[in-house]
Amino acid sequence: MSFRDIGIKIQSAREEKGLSQEQLARLIGCSQSALSNYEKGKRRLYLSQLEKMAEILDKPLEYFVETLGHNQHPPVVPDRNQSFVEIMNQLNRLTDEDISEVMNYVRYLEWKRSGRA
Amino acid sequence: MDLSLTREQQELIKSVQEMANRDIKPFALKGSSKYKEKMLLAMARMNLLCPTVPQEYGGLGLDLFSTALVVEELAAASPGMAAIVAATLHAAEPILLAGTEQQKSEFLPLLTGAHGGSAAFALTESAGGSDLNNIASYAEAVPDGYLLNGSKDYMINAGMARFISVVAAIDNRGKKSSLRIFLVPGSAAGIVTEEIYQTSGINLTSVGRVKFDDVHIMDQQVVKSREAGSGYLLLTQTFDVGRALVGALAVGIARAALEQALDFADNRLQSGTPIKKHQAVAFTLADMATDIEMARLMTWKACWLIDQGGDYSVASAMAKLASSSMAQRVTCSAADILGARGYLHGTLIEQLVRDARVLSTIEGTNHIQRLLISSQL
Ligand SMILES: Cc1cc2nc3c(=O)[nH]c(=O)nc-3n(C[C@H](O)[C@H](O)[C@H](O)COP(=O)(O)OP(=O)(O)OC[C@H]3O[C@@H](n4cnc5c(N)ncnc54)[C@H](O)[C@@H]3O)c2cc1C
Repeated sequence: MSFRDIGIKIQSAREEKGLSQEQLARLIGCSQSALSNYEKGKRRLYLSQLEKMAEILDKPLEYFVETLGHNQHPPVVPDRNQSFVEIMNQLNRLTDEDISEVMNYVRYLEWKRSGRA
Repeated sequence: MDLSLTREQQELIKSVQEMANRDIKPFALKGSSKYKEKMLLAMARMNLLCPTVPQEYGGLGLDLFSTALVVEELAAASPGMAAIVAATLHAAEPILLAGTEQQKSEFLPLLTGAHGGSAAFALTESAGGSDLNNIASYAEAVPDGYLLNGSKDYMINAGMARFISVVAAIDNRGKKSSLRIFLVPGSAAGIVTEEIYQTSGINLTSVGRVKFDDVHIMDQQVVKSREAGSGYLLLTQTFDVGRALVGALAVGIARAALEQALDFADNRLQSGTPIKKHQAVAFTLADMATDIEMARLMTWKACWLIDQGGDYSVASAMAKLASSSMAQRVTCSAADILGARGYLHGTLIEQLVRDARVLSTIEGTNHIQRLLISSQL
């Protein structure tokens, strides 16, 4: 979980709500450039600021803190190393049975990519 | 930002210095628990164990800038005693930032006044130090609160804390949004101090591994219990505050080393002159003093930003990174100036070198600071 992840969530929620950066910045009481930095993940947001933002954007705090699911990602270049670390962490929590299912799925993806689908 | 200290701040420094020179410094190297009790009492009498606690809860109500001045003075007298205070400040921070009125009035007065004690912040586990995704301590919801289980490692103030701010997950282990900060009285049933370590530095500080075995915690002892995601955000914020104070700790340690080196260089004669007159030594001393001033200013800036409610995440990570590295350089340079005496076990300078070593590890290692800074560039 990086500031960038939180920033992406803010941007998505803002767009969902139909607000421009200027409008949201005004509502939470910061400058547009500060909001832009939050969205770009160049600044850390603290609890009280994010609580305010969550209220305005009608999202629970949890939405901003949890790691992104793939359908929530706007078109950004994914950091592959970060993704590998996340995948390893998730795998670590699975049972042996789950892992063999994951392996099957990985093999299926490879097979599909090899053009045989 | 005005860099001149107010009259109150100057008086605060003077009074802490007087107490530290009288009640702490002469005993700091002795390291026995008998002296430690006396030193703690002297600090408590001046209400210095957690200077940020507001006056309505019995504290001094200092801002972080003034608190950093106190921590520097304490660290210059005894880094171990200053570390006890820094850990207590860290433990109190989540309550100050987001605690309820009830949490403030129950826990903060435990740290204040002549009978006040210390507190501990428990995050690190044997498998999870730098990695917040790996917190295994788990608080299971029960009808009137939680049952906390887990083991926390390398906790400062182990076995002596009046309360422990424990980071644990309440569900979906591994999800950041499930982290919460639990305020656990030091006397709660089920807390077992499993080991107190012999550390290389910050002697007098009790660093240990603590087990939480079905510790029952009421709902009202959890900071922002109902708000998923709040614990993680609070955690990052308290670290940003804690890091600025590591800066002050580092400056105090380095200052003590410089003072020793200066005193020695003035009095040690080689080739017929005090070694301070040899340019190599004089320039080293100049570099040390410059390094310390740089770190102090970075620390002050971070604290000032925190007090202003500004954007302090990068400033405090930079202050921690620069100051801890500086303290390691300066203490080693001082040891070099003292020659063979700097290598003897039980001497002040040898102790300061070992004290400074810990600064690049606590409150997030310096690698983690670089990660934080670079991600915000
Ligand atoms: C004297 C002392 C007092 C302490 N007091 C407390 C306390 O009161 N409360 C508390 O909770 N903890 C405390 N700690 C623990 C301290 O915060 C941890 O030691 C620290 O966070 C590092 O964790 P680790 O030791 O598990 O090292 P690891 O996290 O295992 O790191 C090992 C090495 O790998 C590097 N590394 C790890 N992850 C990364 C990464 N993502 N990128 C680059 N490098 C990385 C680290 O920088 C380090 O060099 C204390 C430690 C000491 C020594």
